[in-house]
Amino acid sequence: MSDRILFEDVSKFYGEILGVNRVNLSIPPGITSLVGPNGSGKTTLMNLMTGLVKPSRGRVEVLGIRTDDPENLFQVVGYATQFDAFPKGLTGFQFVYSYLCLSGRDQASAERLAAQAIHRAGMTEAADRSIASYSKGMRQRIRLAQALAHDPRVLVLDEPLNGLDPLARSEMIAIFRAAAAQGCYVIISSHILHEVDVISDQVVLLSNGYVVAEGQIQTVRNEIQEHPTQILIRCDRPRELAARMFGSSDTIEVSIHKDGRGLLLKTRDADRFYLAMNELALNGIEIESLAPADDDVLSVYEYLIGSEEAVR
Amino acid sequence: MNRLWWTQIKGVLRLELKKTLLAKRGLWIYFLAASPVLIFIAFTFAMSAHRSRMEDLSRHSDKQLTYSDLQAVQPGMTKEEVIAMLGKPSIRWQYTENRPIGPHTTENLLHEHLSYSDGQDDLQLDLSDGKVDSINIQTGDNRGQDSVMFAGIFQFFFLRLVVFFGCLGIFMNLFRGEVLDHSLHFYFLAPVRREVVMVGKFIAGLLATCIIFVTSEILQTAAFLWHFSPGVRELYLYQNHGLTQAFQYVGITMLACVGYGALFLVAGMLFRNPIPPAAMVLIWEAINPFLPSVLKQISVIYYLKALCPVNVPSSQGTPALLALLVSTSEPISAPLAVLGLLTVSLLAVCISGIQVRRMEINYTTE
Repeated sequence: MSDRILFEDVSKFYGEILGVNRVNLSIPPGITSLVGPNGSGKTTLMNLMTGLVKPSRGRVEVLGIRTDDPENLFQVVGYATQFDAFPKGLTGFQFVYSYLCLSGRDQASAERLAAQAIHRAGMTEAADRSIASYSKGMRQRIRLAQALAHDPRVLVLDEPLNGLDPLARSEMIAIFRAAAAQGCYVIISSHILHEVDVISDQVVLLSNGYVVAEGQIQTVRNEIQEHPTQILIRCDRPRELAARMFGSSDTIEVSIHKDGRGLLLKTRDADRFYLAMNELALNGIEIESLAPADDDVLSVYEYLIGSEEAVR
Repeated sequence: MNRLWWTQIKGVLRLELKKTLLAKRGLWIYFLAASPVLIFIAFTFAMSAHRSRMEDLSRHSDKQLTYSDLQAVQPGMTKEEVIAMLGKPSIRWQYTENRPIGPHTTENLLHEHLSYSDGQDDLQLDLSDGKVDSINIQTGDNRGQDSVMFAGIFQFFFLRLVVFFGCLGIFMNLFRGEVLDHSLHFYFLAPVRREVVMVGKFIAGLLATCIIFVTSEILQTAAFLWHFSPGVRELYLYQNHGLTQAFQYVGITMLACVGYGALFLVAGMLFRNPIPPAAMVLIWEAINPFLPSVLKQISVIYYLKALCPVNVPSSQGTPALLALLVSTSEPISAPLAVLGLLTVSLLAVCISGIQVRRMEINYTTE
């Protein structure tokens, strides 16, 4: 049995409209974020890995299970979709409970698991209210409770942070992290890049149905050769450091920070720069901090796809 | 069927029954199911009014008449002879006809109408020129005629329209309705075979339609029997196979729900718009009498008609050309009819099973 979520040369067309094309992915455990603008194929990828849509070409497997085998697939997968519709007339508890009953669980175990999942999603107080009376954030949470209810190994969450207030967001992120720490596969789609940056172990960048990059964000960043790496250095003598850095052929641009206590440097070879910094530090310049300024998802996304506007 | 599947089907049933039976948008189905009951209630009221008129006529007659008194009147008897035998009529009206007997001459002919009643049965006499011309006795006990009327309403209104459109409304919506509501993914994201979901939904549809239409059928029978006097009712139910027929009608209603339900289940998966398949099936069922024997068997009404306990004679007014087009086929036995209908239904359910596996959740194209 495979321990990955695999896409092998997968394409999906909706009639003549391209969903995704020639996708090859091997997703490991941890938090993986699918990032891309509307229509880039994030939801299609999620629907493909949960069997809601079938590939026009290629093969998708989740931990060795075919996606056209829902009976086994959803023993290990929980999917909180972006579809904001529920079976009519149900309370939050009934929604999660009914899902567990459909799974074949007996009444007692379904009730216990539903209560646990609802508690994890922070919906205990509203559990007996009709879903029709829920706010968008509450509906988001109850969908998450449903996805979590049977304790799946793979959690697929389509825009899970949409509609949540900052406190709820941090609670949800804590849940994702806890699941990932337990060895789960947490697949998240999002267009809020700074949040993705904070929580993701790896990212899949999508544009117009194509995967343009995948992997750990630093690795992806390092592979983008045409954009020099930007590094922010805080030190006591920035001007002296800048003069020394210009001595290196890899340095492209150096600018002194407005407060006069640091500088922003662009280099073609980050690894060589870090080695040089060790020598400089030994030569008396006090380095307070060193931080890459553009190895976040936003920068990588801008380099690969275009402006951040495209993601909104 | 293994135990897990049965547990999962029960889960689907819980959700679907509530949704199907209590949905506001399904309210019209209840009105539809109530319409034949209303027809029989109206019929019962009409019959009661007729009976009280008969009793009224009987009370106002000179003599207390019996059915044999009414039967004793013969054509050609004079008005005086009739009055001597039955007394003064309760209702009498007359008119004079100015009839030509030559190129320029006419004669006046007196037409009279006399009504008598023994309280239950009704004698209508037409007299011309003082002699009995025509005799019409309407018996209060019209069990045979009434049961043919019941069979006619059952076959041509209840089965072909009420159950047909009711099943259309319920079974087409089992999948289509949830696609339109964008909520079908709830089932498709559960660890349950899609065929099990389909079977669960089909059983839920069957239970809902059976509850609605069998109740309607029972109420129709009750309303139909209401106008009979207790004695006649007992005679009809226990000595004229009335009770057996009532059970047969309930059974046929349930089989109709199975047959039409299966057809509309598959239609709901194959078509986005319910109107073309509904029209197609309706036309196919309507032209069934004109189809060759082999094609007749690919329909629901063919088997249901074979099961009906009372044969409805074809109308006297059927045009000769149309009557010629009606194809005759060997009547089939009840077990074969049930088997045939279940086979057609099973075939439709199997196609639904294949179709549900192919279904994709892509609400944006709906």
